[in-house]
Amino acid sequence: MLFKKVGHCLVVGVISMLSLPVFSAVIEHELGSTQVPDSPQRIVVLEFSFVDALAAVNVAPVGLADDNKPERIVAAYRKIIGSDWISVGTRKTPSLELTASLKPDLIIADKKRHSAAYATLSEIAPTIVLDSLVGDYPAAVKQMSVIGNALGKEEEMEQRITEHKAKIAAYAETFKALSDGMYVQFATARASRLTLHSASSYNGSLLNAFGFSSKLNPTDGDARANFYVPTTLEQLSELNPEVLILGNYADVTIIDQWKNEALYQNLSAVKAGKVFHVDAHSWSRLRGMVAAESTAEDLSAIMKKISAKK
Amino acid sequence: MSTVYSQRRALSVGLILSLCIVLVFIGSLSAGAVAISWQVIINTLFDLEGEQQTYIILNSRLPRSLLALLVGGCLAISGTIIQGLLRNPLASPKIIGINAGAALAVCLMTLLLPDLPMTYLPLAAVLGGTLAALIVYLGSHWRESSMTRLVLIGIAVGFVCEAGIDYILISSPPYQFSTPLVWLTGSLWSRGWSHLAMSWHLLIGLLISALILSYRLDLIRLGAVHAKGLGVNVGFERFLLLAIATLLASISVSVVGVLGFVGLMAPHIARSLVGGSHRTLIPIAILVGMLLVVLADACGRAIAPPIEISAGILTALFGGPFFIYILLKMGSTES
Amino acid sequence: MPKSSLYLLLSGLFVLAVLASLSSGGRSDVGLNELFGVFNGSNSALANTVMIDIRLPRTVCAALIGICLGLSGLILQAVTRNPLASPSILGINQGAALGLVATLVFPQAAAIGVGFLSVTGAIVAGGLTFIIAGGLQGKLNSLRLILGGITVGAFAYAFARFALTLDDDVASAVLQWSAGNVGDVRWPDAQLLIGWSVLGMVITLLLSHRFNLLALGDSSAQGLGADPRVTLLIGTLLAAVLAGVCVSIAGPIAFVGIVIPHVCRYLFGLDYRVLVGAVSLTGATLMVIGDALSKWMGGPSEMPIGVVVALIGAPYFLYQTFMEKDLG
Repeated sequence: MLFKKVGHCLVVGVISMLSLPVFSAVIEHELGSTQVPDSPQRIVVLEFSFVDALAAVNVAPVGLADDNKPERIVAAYRKIIGSDWISVGTRKTPSLELTASLKPDLIIADKKRHSAAYATLSEIAPTIVLDSLVGDYPAAVKQMSVIGNALGKEEEMEQRITEHKAKIAAYAETFKALSDGMYVQFATARASRLTLHSASSYNGSLLNAFGFSSKLNPTDGDARANFYVPTTLEQLSELNPEVLILGNYADVTIIDQWKNEALYQNLSAVKAGKVFHVDAHSWSRLRGMVAAESTAEDLSAIMKKISAKK
Repeated sequence: MSTVYSQRRALSVGLILSLCIVLVFIGSLSAGAVAISWQVIINTLFDLEGEQQTYIILNSRLPRSLLALLVGGCLAISGTIIQGLLRNPLASPKIIGINAGAALAVCLMTLLLPDLPMTYLPLAAVLGGTLAALIVYLGSHWRESSMTRLVLIGIAVGFVCEAGIDYILISSPPYQFSTPLVWLTGSLWSRGWSHLAMSWHLLIGLLISALILSYRLDLIRLGAVHAKGLGVNVGFERFLLLAIATLLASISVSVVGVLGFVGLMAPHIARSLVGGSHRTLIPIAILVGMLLVVLADACGRAIAPPIEISAGILTALFGGPFFIYILLKMGSTES
Repeated sequence: MPKSSLYLLLSGLFVLAVLASLSSGGRSDVGLNELFGVFNGSNSALANTVMIDIRLPRTVCAALIGICLGLSGLILQAVTRNPLASPSILGINQGAALGLVATLVFPQAAAIGVGFLSVTGAIVAGGLTFIIAGGLQGKLNSLRLILGGITVGAFAYAFARFALTLDDDVASAVLQWSAGNVGDVRWPDAQLLIGWSVLGMVITLLLSHRFNLLALGDSSAQGLGADPRVTLLIGTLLAAVLAGVCVSIAGPIAFVGIVIPHVCRYLFGLDYRVLVGAVSLTGATLMVIGDALSKWMGGPSEMPIGVVVALIGAPYFLYQTFMEKDLG
């Protein structure tokens, strides 16, 4: 019996040594450094920006955290990664069991959400932890290189980044004639709250990359509330953006309540008919190169409307 | 409460409870997002030939369920001691401010030291919970001490902590508090051998010392005069027991988050089963606590996979009405 | 200090708070000058809009909520003869809040009316607490009243807090909602509150003699022709309605109902006929101060008034429990 077992172990061991990819690349990440296989095949990602990074270099994950709402993986991603991935639950508490059952060889996790589970995740597969939720657009692009390295697709990713930067620059160029320095404000609207995305947020810095400006530049003072600023109608009227881009998170929002008020109707953007609606999810929850390019397309449509008005 | 039950009854109740725990524990091994057949579970547990699911069974469900047992037992004995010493059936670790204090400390840590790894969360929780309990004890002894005072000051300390928590949560972006929010709802998500390894010596050590000391609870409860005659140093033993109970609850909460109502429910259920003598009450309460938490964790995994419902939410949903039931029952026996 | 000078002092404080609240807000170009400009006509249309359409109703609402919640607490403390009773301690606020959140989760429910659901939630929660405390036997146990109320409140909140494990967005919406906020109230809300607070003051004034008798004890009240059970029923219903209306407009705001009557008893004595006016003035003052602070705190955005008031009220409540001599 015992011999049988030992023999079994030996056989399994030899097979696994042959079949397992050789561990080579060492990836530096937020919680240290992790050895990852040469070109991982079965990848589980736990934030949307990591899906974006995979899609950028045509890699499909086997599992991802979609908050159990498959529609959160938008068409732009499905075009590339298909629909064969398995949902491992919410981004906040992804199911570790499901993750393990997918037998991944690389897990990409988020610093703010999954640090406490890093040890457990590392037991399942080599895990790298990146700060997906914090930081602006340039930081999000920088993260792409790290993921490129981890996927063993360093060159492909660098090439994609260069391509992406050129694309964004080209968009900025076409916007320039109309938009130079125009103050464009992106905000998300809920039933009882309007949240402005400041210049230091992902969306704000992305708008800057397109050549737009922002009057909402919270400096060091209160670092915590820097990115997303809940606002009142009065504060909005003081900022008075030239273009207001709204992403609705509810069917009936606070804007519907404000619509009939003099102060709202007095906003430059409202008076000039420059209030536009976009998909809140793909603008502000998703982040990365694919997402930024779809944002660029939305903006391009908006700019066309604006130039038609002139 | 004063019904006298025989030792034999306690023994049979204990055996039945243990059987329930074994059954629920086994059930807990099969509950989760990935369906695993019993054959595979047995293969994995006993390392038999055939298909195995090593990670899910041995590294995820087994340590989680063991941790649930341990924490459940600790919260239950903590609650029993606190109720016994304070002679107040409504007291619990939550009432003396441990949960709110721990929660505030966790939020403060995340706010003030955002770069500190989340692995330090338990340390902050122990400090906060103990500090809050200390304030409540001192406050209730500051003037003429009565049980009502203690309960009310506990509630007030809880309010102060919650006001602070609300302030911190509202003035911060949501992602900053992703991990603390999960912790605030009391979840065993991602708990594994490492958490067990970190806390079990301490918890088992405290649990045993509490067990050894707790048979004196009946003597202490007789009142200072009688107890002194029987050779009990009332003041010191009271202090020691309260300290142990506070630590047990704080450490438990620090490992799994705010798991409310277990420390309150377990002693009550146990008392209705075997009566109020602490010699039998305490072991039975421990078993009840174990059963409650393992059950809550297993249900939370089984209800809506792959989403996990925090064990703390389930214990609160059961515990709230249970508490109201106790209050109503107290009302009818008093009048 | 004689009472007349106390009133004078409080009124002065109230006026200062109103000035502070009205002269601050989102637009930095609308301040004290523009406030006076409303009267002498020197304002731009914009400044007038900001002053009259946005800031004035907000300050008015804050003051009226202070009156309603203060009276609600005063009534509850009178009928339960318990100095710690108040809408938030007895679970009434949270019950109303649960009615409010029902409309967030099930949009169909909004057809019934947010106000109606909040008031219903408040009455149900208050009733449950009184039953737990032994209200059906006609004899309230003060400790059970407090513990029952806290539990009813915690249970109502547990349902709402469930959302914290879900999406970040839902979680922050629930947090925001559960904090109590007057940032987006307008004149229609203020009109509703004016009606209720006037009604509340009148009824409380009419009841104040009964409250005074009740303070003497059940038997003396009965002997003097005031059935304590009737007082209890009317008082609790009124308190629940007042709190429910406030919650439906601004969300749950805790501690006003407990702190204000306590401070007023200390300053103005125990006569409820005097206390009705005193509580109204002090409650309004506290809330307007809270409103002004909420505009200054919180960096680029505002801090919800519920959080500001809790940061003042919770420590005071702790102090109160430390100092209280006979707690049952």
